[in-house]
Amino acid sequence: MHPQSLSRRQLFQLSGFAGMGLLLDSCGLNEYSTAVGNAIDPLNQRVEELLLKPQALAREYPISSIDPNALIINSFTDVPQIDPTTFKLIIDGAVNQPLQLSMNDIYKLPLQTMVIQHVCVEGWAAIVQWGGARLKDLIALAQPKNTARYVYFESGDGYYNSWDLPSAIHPQTLLAYQKNGQPLPVDNGAPLRLAAPIKLGYKQSKWVTRVTLMNQLPIKRGYWEDQGYEWFGGL
Amino acid sequence: MATPKKIPPIPHQKIIIKLFHGIIIISLFLMIGSGLQIYNATPVFGDKEGWQFPDFMTLGGWLAGGRDWHFAIMWVFSFNLLIYGIYIFLTKRWQRRFVASSDLQAIKVGQNHKRKAYAWHRLIYTGIIPILILAIASGLAMYKPVQLAWLMSLFGNWKTLRIIHFMTVPISLVFTVLHMFMGLKVGGLRLWRSMFV
Repeated sequence: MHPQSLSRRQLFQLSGFAGMGLLLDSCGLNEYSTAVGNAIDPLNQRVEELLLKPQALAREYPISSIDPNALIINSFTDVPQIDPTTFKLIIDGAVNQPLQLSMNDIYKLPLQTMVIQHVCVEGWAAIVQWGGARLKDLIALAQPKNTARYVYFESGDGYYNSWDLPSAIHPQTLLAYQKNGQPLPVDNGAPLRLAAPIKLGYKQSKWVTRVTLMNQLPIKRGYWEDQGYEWFGGL
Repeated sequence: MATPKKIPPIPHQKIIIKLFHGIIIISLFLMIGSGLQIYNATPVFGDKEGWQFPDFMTLGGWLAGGRDWHFAIMWVFSFNLLIYGIYIFLTKRWQRRFVASSDLQAIKVGQNHKRKAYAWHRLIYTGIIPILILAIASGLAMYKPVQLAWLMSLFGNWKTLRIIHFMTVPISLVFTVLHMFMGLKVGGLRLWRSMFV
């Protein structure tokens, strides 16, 4: 073969080589996904914890940049029926003062609003305004024990999730009851939902009914996490 | 007495270079496969109704699996490139083995076809490096858009960032094919073999 020329056959062989690499991906490697994820997760989680600046505020956007239709509603089951007039948020676990708060109690706490970018694990993002009480203020009312390191959230639809404490008491982590300046729609998690710029969407439970501080993570760490999603989910 | 025919020297690559090169290829394919899996969860073009890549091109099985691979292999991919960068800097390889002004001169005004092909090849494989760095930078910005907000802000908004990160895939693949083609043209299968065997 003359080294200067490239026959059509060789070109096919070359492009075949390129395609083969991609094909190899699908041949049996998928079953190792969870093992690969489990192997790297301690490192990635450590990096995420190091990157998190507990007091630094995430970028907020002007109200004009809100795109109401960009926020897609993702729920894993039906919308639960919660009567906001009788609803009580439970805060318990590793606290000195377990609480049950009505919506009126929560409305009395300072209202914080923020226009932030909500990022979904699926790859889309939406600029959205949330308004509500800082989770930090709610947790402070319950007087957390200094052994508490995690916060576990239960939702009215059976969804469950858990967070690291520093992210939960970040100044932009809210239990929101407003969206884009209006009362929070039921589809978006009314009466109360988690809203924070520092976590992926699946960490932001809707219809939150119970906030439990914990010293250790339970075995069931979250609905999606138990199926393979990364636990920390930081942005 | 007949003068012996001049035989060009057999191309030879250092083992460490073969290693860097091989790891780039393998980790890039794993990054692309898992990246296309993540892409399919919400296609960059057309959102939820957009065209999705077929299963045989994706790695991970589902979104979480794709992310498992992507955020594991990212370490191999980027640290390999980082160590390679340090290596070519310390050995001054960057002065000798990458595109230089003399190559650009040869491309523009050169008459020697062999020299021109050689210069094009150096330009192409040098060009792959900034594309891979762009892939890492845009990927990091998307991975931690809040904690690395300064990086995210370089790319404008989320949609632009996703498009840029995705476009590094076809661009790096085109450069790879050109690199393979020009490698054969310049040094034949012997050059090819020298990089892999």
